[in-house]
Amino acid sequence: MTLLPGSAPRAAETPQCYIDNSWWCPPYWSDRQELLTDALVQHIWITIASVALGLVLAFPLALLARRFDRLETLVVGGTTIIYTIPSLALFSLLLPATGLSANTVIIGLALYSLTILVRSLLVGLRGVSDDVRESAVGNGYGMSRLLFTIELPLALPVIMAGLRVATVSTVALVTVGSIVSYGGLGNLLLQAVGNQFKAQILAASVLCVLLAIVLDLLLVVVQRMVTPWTRTGASV
Amino acid sequence: MMFGRLTVALSAAALLTLTACGGDPLEEEPSPDSDAGASSENDPTSDGTETSDGTEEKGALTISGQSFTEAVVMAEMYEQVLDGAGYDVTTKLVETRDVYVQQMSDGKVDVVPDYLAGMADYLNTLENGEDAEPITSNDAAASLEALKPLADAAGITMLEPSGATSQNAFFVTQDFAEENSVSTLSDLAEVGPVKLAAAPDCVGRDDCEKGLKEVYGIDITEVVPLGYGSAQTKDAVISGEVEVGQTGTTDGTLEAQELVLLEDDQGIQPAQNLVPAVNTEFLSDNPDVEEVLNELSATLTTEDLGQLNAQVDVERMEASEVAQTYLEDKGLI
Repeated sequence: MTLLPGSAPRAAETPQCYIDNSWWCPPYWSDRQELLTDALVQHIWITIASVALGLVLAFPLALLARRFDRLETLVVGGTTIIYTIPSLALFSLLLPATGLSANTVIIGLALYSLTILVRSLLVGLRGVSDDVRESAVGNGYGMSRLLFTIELPLALPVIMAGLRVATVSTVALVTVGSIVSYGGLGNLLLQAVGNQFKAQILAASVLCVLLAIVLDLLLVVVQRMVTPWTRTGASV
Repeated sequence: MMFGRLTVALSAAALLTLTACGGDPLEEEPSPDSDAGASSENDPTSDGTETSDGTEEKGALTISGQSFTEAVVMAEMYEQVLDGAGYDVTTKLVETRDVYVQQMSDGKVDVVPDYLAGMADYLNTLENGEDAEPITSNDAAASLEALKPLADAAGITMLEPSGATSQNAFFVTQDFAEENSVSTLSDLAEVGPVKLAAAPDCVGRDDCEKGLKEVYGIDITEVVPLGYGSAQTKDAVISGEVEVGQTGTTDGTLEAQELVLLEDDQGIQPAQNLVPAVNTEFLSDNPDVEEVLNELSATLTTEDLGQLNAQVDVERMEASEVAQTYLEDKGLI
């Protein structure tokens, strides 16, 4: 049992910026540190899981589209059509199968990321010049060795560019997951918009933007690490 | 060389997917008690967060509900009393009723704090279409009876409604009420023409403009769409721009602004009593849930709920803290 007396334990010490409902309210950041951290952590792993799942799905789709011309329209068109489905409707379609779980959001957002990821994989692979491909084949490379050691590495800059766009857009889209209670910072936004809690709206929005910037920068670093030959002056 | 890097990148991505899907850091699963059932002492002074999980294990329970302030406070209170009763509670708040009703019918959500007429109208529309005859009224008991068969069909059992009710209401300034000696909406009809600040959908509604005109005979000259219980609506009433404003019965901010609610003495508002909705199958497996929630419902009053809302919306206290203080005050945890 807590030692607090029962009646209005905090009314006297309510920070003025709560009463004034200010946008900038430092006490909010310390008072709700745990809440913000939990929401941010959820936001991060839902983003990463969604993009990773998207990548895993996009890869075979891009290969199929590249191999069979007829499938290209279907794959590229199909992923674009998925992107136009409103998230409310998409989550509702998934709900009976996945329930109120993070999977609902992850699968939904992975499907949304396909339109960007499939295109960038496709464009990246198409960008590899035929000369390079022929030289590899001439050197006795088989299909999968050609793909993994020649084509994919050369396509990486384009693929990474797509991955960055997909990641940043997914960070924004995760907030919509609050429809099914897995929206990361979106959960805080939904409640704060409802009761006009400006400090919370600002905090959640700022963290969302920062997260997008940090993840984008991280991907730039990863890209530089995996494509050292694109850096001027670097020798492989 | 390249192959190696790519493999690392891809397997890292795959690993992230696996770990991310596997663990859910927000669900706060308590670590399973190795000697479950060894101690069955139910410590009534448990603070509802730690000790009760270990003392009496009754299995998992999922609460859902909507995510506006009052619903959050209610969900917090349900969570804490059920946690105190030994359940391992997870709360998943969503944006709209249709999401959790479907989940509750599927048995994936066990308990929801809901509103009598809100739930009844929703299920009625779902079952009988948009143009269905309304089954709710100002009479809570009658509305509950009308709701029960619909809820049963959806696999949901409604427990005892609370006396606390959160329905539309109309307010004036305390000065206006004293000068014109009005305390009810019927009194207001005697005063003469008034202007009303309300939600944009007020005009033509039986529980708003239409009801005020036709049932009470209030001469409303203008409906200003400034929002339901919004700051603009209150400002308009305080400044005298309009005489009457619309808000909810659990608006805990009125008194501080010297505003006063007028009684709906002829009952145009459907009964929006807080009522626990429980998955029927879950309830038959866990019958003690009923007593726990009914005790809370019996304790809670409209005024209490208004104060709890104000603590969250005005003082910006956390809903969990507000709920805990209230429940401890009332000896419910």
